[in-house]
Amino acid sequence: MTTVATVKGTLRKRSVRIGLVVLAWIVLAFVLRGLNTLVLPTSENTPFTSVLRQAAASIRGNRTQSGAFIYFFNPIRAFVESFIEVIRAVISLPAGNNIIPLVGWLGVVAIIGFIVYATSNWRTSLLAMGLMFLCGVLGMWTFTMDTLAMTLGAVILSLAVGLPLGVWAGLSDRVLAVLRPGLDLAQILPTLVYLAPLALFFLIGTAAATIATMIYSIPIAIRITSHAIRSLNAGPVEAGVSMGSTRWQLLTKVQLPMAKHTIALGVNQTMMAALSFVVIAALIGAPGLGKPVVAALIIRDVGDGVVAGLAVVFLAIMLDRATTAAVARTGTFVHESGRARTRRRIGLGAAFVAMVVAIVLSRYELWAAVFPPNLVMGDTIASATSAASEWITTNLYFLTTGFREFVTVGFLNPLETMLADAPWYLTIIMISLIGALIGGRKAAITSFVLLALIVLTGLWNDTMVTLAQVLIATVIVMLVGVAVGVLVGRSRRVERWMKPILDAGQTLPAFVYLVPVLALFGPTRFAAIACGFFYAAPIVVRVVADGVRDVPSSMVEAATAAGSTKAQIITKVQLPASKRSLMLGANQGLIFVLAVVVIGGFVGAGGLGYLVIVGQSKPELQGKGLAAGLAILFLGVVLDRIAQAGAGRRGRGDAA
Amino acid sequence: MTASVIEPTLTVPQAASAISVRSLWKVFGPNADRIVGSPEADLSRAALLESTGCVAAVRDVSFDVLPGEVFVVMGLSGSGKSTLVRCLTRLIEPTAGSVLLNGEDVLTASPARLRELRRTAFSMVFQHFGLLPHRKVIDNIAYSLEINGVKKDARYARANEVIELVGLHGYANHYPEQLSGGMQQRVGLARALAVDPQVMFLDEPFSALDPLIRRDMQAEVIRLHHDLGKTMVFITHDLSEAMKLGDRIAIMRDGAVVQMGTPEELVASPADDYVADFIRDIPKSHVLTVRAIARPLQPGEDSTGPEIDVTTIVRDATPVIIGARRPVKVIENGVLVGFVTSDDVLRLIGSDGVDGP
Ligand SMILES: Nc1ncnc2c1ncn2[C@@H]1O[C@H](COP(=O)(O)OP(=O)(O)OP(=O)(O)O)[C@@H](O)[C@H]1O
Ligand SMILES: [Mg+2]
Repeated sequence: MTTVATVKGTLRKRSVRIGLVVLAWIVLAFVLRGLNTLVLPTSENTPFTSVLRQAAASIRGNRTQSGAFIYFFNPIRAFVESFIEVIRAVISLPAGNNIIPLVGWLGVVAIIGFIVYATSNWRTSLLAMGLMFLCGVLGMWTFTMDTLAMTLGAVILSLAVGLPLGVWAGLSDRVLAVLRPGLDLAQILPTLVYLAPLALFFLIGTAAATIATMIYSIPIAIRITSHAIRSLNAGPVEAGVSMGSTRWQLLTKVQLPMAKHTIALGVNQTMMAALSFVVIAALIGAPGLGKPVVAALIIRDVGDGVVAGLAVVFLAIMLDRATTAAVARTGTFVHESGRARTRRRIGLGAAFVAMVVAIVLSRYELWAAVFPPNLVMGDTIASATSAASEWITTNLYFLTTGFREFVTVGFLNPLETMLADAPWYLTIIMISLIGALIGGRKAAITSFVLLALIVLTGLWNDTMVTLAQVLIATVIVMLVGVAVGVLVGRSRRVERWMKPILDAGQTLPAFVYLVPVLALFGPTRFAAIACGFFYAAPIVVRVVADGVRDVPSSMVEAATAAGSTKAQIITKVQLPASKRSLMLGANQGLIFVLAVVVIGGFVGAGGLGYLVIVGQSKPELQGKGLAAGLAILFLGVVLDRIAQAGAGRRGRGDAA
Repeated sequence: MTASVIEPTLTVPQAASAISVRSLWKVFGPNADRIVGSPEADLSRAALLESTGCVAAVRDVSFDVLPGEVFVVMGLSGSGKSTLVRCLTRLIEPTAGSVLLNGEDVLTASPARLRELRRTAFSMVFQHFGLLPHRKVIDNIAYSLEINGVKKDARYARANEVIELVGLHGYANHYPEQLSGGMQQRVGLARALAVDPQVMFLDEPFSALDPLIRRDMQAEVIRLHHDLGKTMVFITHDLSEAMKLGDRIAIMRDGAVVQMGTPEELVASPADDYVADFIRDIPKSHVLTVRAIARPLQPGEDSTGPEIDVTTIVRDATPVIIGARRPVKVIENGVLVGFVTSDDVLRLIGSDGVDGP
């Protein structure tokens, strides 16, 4: 009797039930393997993708006739395009019948230096100028300027839309409720998915790229601004009302000044998001550094890729440091004393004069206008990198390839077999069952419906290939992320060490990870997994470390007093107590990994990402590309719903 | 002289009062406006929450505050004090009832009129100060004048006046975060005084301060009240503060006023155990006047003692009573109302802390 009771008790445990489902899944997948796998060759269309293709063709045909285009899409495109062109004319495009833009490289470096000095401090200003100079040394000056122009343009437009909407959503619950589904969706939508539909409506080129970037970064601006307004200390706001402020006075004299710091953080986030998107948007014709990166990836030229990627990294660090330092200055309301202010005024005056001189020089002196070729070392760096990469692939073969094969043969292949070589209905039922066990009926129904929709797109098998990569990468990210996160969370010293790495990791555009990963692991599915890992690891480490750090020290002290060993404290106190953070980290990890694994289509990972990219270049497969975007979206929602249910957080979204 | 729970005169609003509150209700929760007037309104707060999910934070409160009076509202945490005071200025919209300010109905005032009242007629001091962190002291104080369109010179002149008044000389250009808690609350006071309001509402203004600073600030309020004669509604959960400052005190419990009266009336005859509990720790001799212990002369006692006025607090009368070494005459308007001896004083002091009277 007791054994029956224990068995029953064990069965009631969720983890045990999930284990049983997985076990049954493995057995059934083995028994039924090869049946109903819905494999579809890349070049073949399905009824659904054909419909999409026709729809796309008719949209393209309507561009000059339909009212929606004449009165809506085309004017927007024209406006955005000319806005970007104005910025580019200043720093990157040849202006008029000149061969150089309005301001040459020295002038641009000086303008950046001046702006950064004015908004933060001279040290950051020097760093910013140095990084821009290095972009020139890489031979990437014009590309860098294009990316900078695109980013700044997209950020300005995004803020023009996002800040007012964010303030509005911060003030009104109804507005937030209307915006929230969109904001939540934007958080899980992988960047790759935005591209094709926008190119369809706005043509390939700067306009589509900018608008796609805006759609990506506006939600971030809205979210943080609304959060900034909502999380204000209630006391001063209430006091403002009690003294008879009108709504406008309250907003402009109380709420906005108090929220300034958080909103400035939002500007930083918006800018970094825009930069990372602008790089990827090279796929739909965005000018800038994304182009050489894509070109290098296509011909698998590691050296060129690294040079362009480095320029992206430098630009990213520059923008991030500059805005972060400017944000830090908004952190205190206390203004500096009289003498410091005078000194600063003098400094600003001198910097301004220097900037004007540099601008004038850059318009009349060739060496200041065009980055001096004898300073450019891009080719040297490219060939050195190629050689190094060559050396690594031949000499460290056993390491990189060894690890790659270990993961691929040991884990990826079996998982892919289980997901992709099994009948589709089995996979759907099993995932829905697991969804039910983790998240209840709602998660199960969502999973079932969305997975069924993926079957209808005809891209089931490719989805499963992608899913296998996503799951493996997430598991690796979680293993490493939890281990490192615990270290970082437990020790201030490790945290100090890791912080710059984590900061850098979180600001770099996903695209640039492809290059080194390609160098190390070659064009394989594992390259996509590695890329997803590098991209998602910083956020997971951070979330886990925060969770571990937030465990009340009284709990840890009590456990220490009870004589626990270090390992016991970690496994029995800190990890269980930060379970919510772990789940949160898993959720974030999944979403980040998905976003990057699909980009891995570029480096031979196959799956949905590859279809999106192929659809972009081959008109007859355009429908398939669009369908693949939809499938990615559905897969993302399924993963997010299940992981979110696991993390037990329903109304997320206030936290930035 | 027993203070009734709700005085009969409270059914009609008193136009002569600075503030006149009648049957004020605030119910939080779903369909809150259906509760008042329904049978559910008679449920206790816990029962109401149970059956409707609503919290009656303020229930059927009526009182008058006379011009120049300091009216203290006290009660335990959660008894509805903050909600009540916010209803008076409509920072929280009351569910039912009426509030008159100098005879003007506040609850039906248009938004524009309400803003005007807030800018000129009443002002508020908050427990956590509510200073604007991005503004200097002087700009915090001048805020209401600024939003009312007063020119910079004029509003700075006025702000500097109140800065002097609250003893913040030399701190005009500091930011709130550069000041100690006590000084921040001085800024809060100054800000409330800047518009020269008719009525000031103070919601536990000193609860966040440590005891020594709190005493200073209480003395400050007494001084300001003495000098400026403002009508004040003062919220506190500290009985000794209430006794020190209040002309009259209302004690709240679960949203309702359970007793209202002068400090002396409360101590002399608490309406129920809740009030008795509240005042238990207050030394009666610090609150009661000699009226409370005056008694007829007993046979054989000396009737030639010195005289004291009936409104003298026992504590203040003690030196005279003990020094006289015979019964002291208690006089009200020139008429003898009784005698007290040092034994009577001792008995009063001895009854403190034992049990309720
Ligand atoms: N916005 C609100 N929504 C729902 N219930 C509320 C709200 N504000 C206050 N309450 C409830 O009303 C009751 C009275 O709260 P109030 O803040 O007025 O008490 P208080 O007497 O000021 O207490 P304290 O001394 O702690 O400040 C409490 O039970 C509280 O939970
Ligand atoms: Mg309160």
